[in-house]
Amino acid sequence: MVLPKDLKMFENLKAELKSIMTPKKRFDQVFQKLEKIYPDGEDPWGLNLEIARTTLELVWPLYEKYFRVRIFGASNVEDKPYMIISNHSGQIAIDGLLLSVAFAAEVDPPRILRAMVDRFFVALPFVGKFGTEGGAVLGDRQNCLQLLGHGQSVLVFPEGVSGVAKSTKDYYKLQKFTKGFFRLALASKDKTEILPVAVVGAEEAYPYVYQARGLAKFLGLPALPLSPTFPLLGPLGMLPLPSPIDIHIGKPYKLPDLSPDAGDKKISEHVEAIKSQIADMIEKGRKQRREFWGNKLD
Amino acid sequence: MDVKEVNSILIIGIAGGLAKLTTNLLKKRYPNASIMGIDSRAITDEHTSEGVTYVQLRYSRNNFEKVFREKKFDVVYLLSRMGHGHFRPKNKLDMAIRKNVMGITLMLDLCRKNYVKKVISLSTYHVYGAYPDNSVFLDEEAPLRASIEYPELRDVVDVDQKTVNWMWQNQYEAETVIFRPCSVIGNLINNTITTYLQAPMAPKVIDFNPIFQFVYETDMANCLVHAIEKLPFGIYNVAPPGVVSIHRAKELMGYSTIPFPSFFLETAINMANKGAWSVPKYLIDYMKFSCSLDNAAILTFLGKDFFQYSSVEAVKQLAKS
Repeated sequence: MVLPKDLKMFENLKAELKSIMTPKKRFDQVFQKLEKIYPDGEDPWGLNLEIARTTLELVWPLYEKYFRVRIFGASNVEDKPYMIISNHSGQIAIDGLLLSVAFAAEVDPPRILRAMVDRFFVALPFVGKFGTEGGAVLGDRQNCLQLLGHGQSVLVFPEGVSGVAKSTKDYYKLQKFTKGFFRLALASKDKTEILPVAVVGAEEAYPYVYQARGLAKFLGLPALPLSPTFPLLGPLGMLPLPSPIDIHIGKPYKLPDLSPDAGDKKISEHVEAIKSQIADMIEKGRKQRREFWGNKLD
Repeated sequence: MDVKEVNSILIIGIAGGLAKLTTNLLKKRYPNASIMGIDSRAITDEHTSEGVTYVQLRYSRNNFEKVFREKKFDVVYLLSRMGHGHFRPKNKLDMAIRKNVMGITLMLDLCRKNYVKKVISLSTYHVYGAYPDNSVFLDEEAPLRASIEYPELRDVVDVDQKTVNWMWQNQYEAETVIFRPCSVIGNLINNTITTYLQAPMAPKVIDFNPIFQFVYETDMANCLVHAIEKLPFGIYNVAPPGVVSIHRAKELMGYSTIPFPSFFLETAINMANKGAWSVPKYLIDYMKFSCSLDNAAILTFLGKDFFQYSSVEAVKQLAKS
């Protein structure tokens, strides 16, 4: 039988553990600033600041201790909204989660990144709620333009699902970038600058993966990664390895004086330039990544 | 439409709470106009106002023709719709479609024949449907997808579309205003969302938390009244500023909730519908996915400060009342 005294002890232990695991003072400062941006605590895209803080506190130990995330180039971020363009990796999109933590807790001024996600994600029970309350938004044209118009920073993975769902042989090979993001940046109210970002280390969280594309299509899933541990060990087999992750923030890409309806050829030039900037950051990042036994497996 | 041109007003569906509020406001705005209200439901004393003619009649071609034959109307409000609560799903669904769609066809036909100057019709945001891929702030051009998943919403979409077509066909003869309001709440409103918010103990879908917009009953009634003079023909989403999630709305009401995952509630509704109860299944989707409206069009004509209550304030007001 659980006595009230035991419950109190448990609560005290939980609070103590939380204070060790999370930098309360820093989070207080971060959320004081965020409360000014979201005075109602909620926004039309489903953000819930209270839940976002709880999520941040929960994810922080993973971010800091498990993946030991480092940020390079945080000084490139100014006090204005950006369209953040990143490579996509890590099979279960942990890169999106870690980028969101980085931009909320480690970049000044803090911001809730509005990650543009697939319809499949939004429709998932619990997962969709967790994502949208933490800032994720269904990735469509109207949402993106409205968010940029409201001074929000959006996170776009122009490789889409093909970026995150790669087999081991394709790790760190950037997939085809869609052009839509560039047209949207041009069409946004104040021509929002693009901030290229590279995430290095997330691929090694799953050292051996084969993407069963045919089976995924048959089951109506966006991707189905098979690994030595998944599906053999069930959900446990989906646990990522503690690969150290580095986030490289590049110099903002200044938008040209171009119409959002310009021809594909003109738009492609810029999209390829951004892709190449990210590819360069990945290459440099791979050279300076930390030792991890999983690195030796690739 | 000029105030001097408004001599007579007909309100179809006068027995509802929103119609009562609208009638009172119309009386103040147009003291010299004669107002007639009809409904198939019983009109109780609590819903009546002095100086208004109330007629309870069965909705039929003959009865409507008689009303229009005996009196000329400048403005007609179409506030009546037979809800799904009256029908058991599946076996009587065709009745809802027939009554609502044929009813609106008949009423619009009579408006044309009798040279009604302004027709104001009340539709609903349900026509857009609640889907995970809904953009935030759907404008009036958004496709009406409600009936894709749920055939019981077919009549809601059909009635809306029928009125839109009529509006365009008769744009030179009659000015038609179609409202698609977000969730209307208030003490006089007898709809599912108000009942849900006011329930001291209600289920809460824990795996989703959609964003809602709530327009307070008096704000909605004001929209209906101002439509006569201020709104040109067209379709208007009605939503006040601000949004609130359904979980927070329940918290603001100060009532307890019982958390359930959505699949459990879906199963419970399916079972209830097999038994004696009739619960609209589509409502579960509105508890899962947002369907928020862009209110730019209506604010252009009514002004940015038109709404007295934001979504959050509307819920707080409901909690107070």
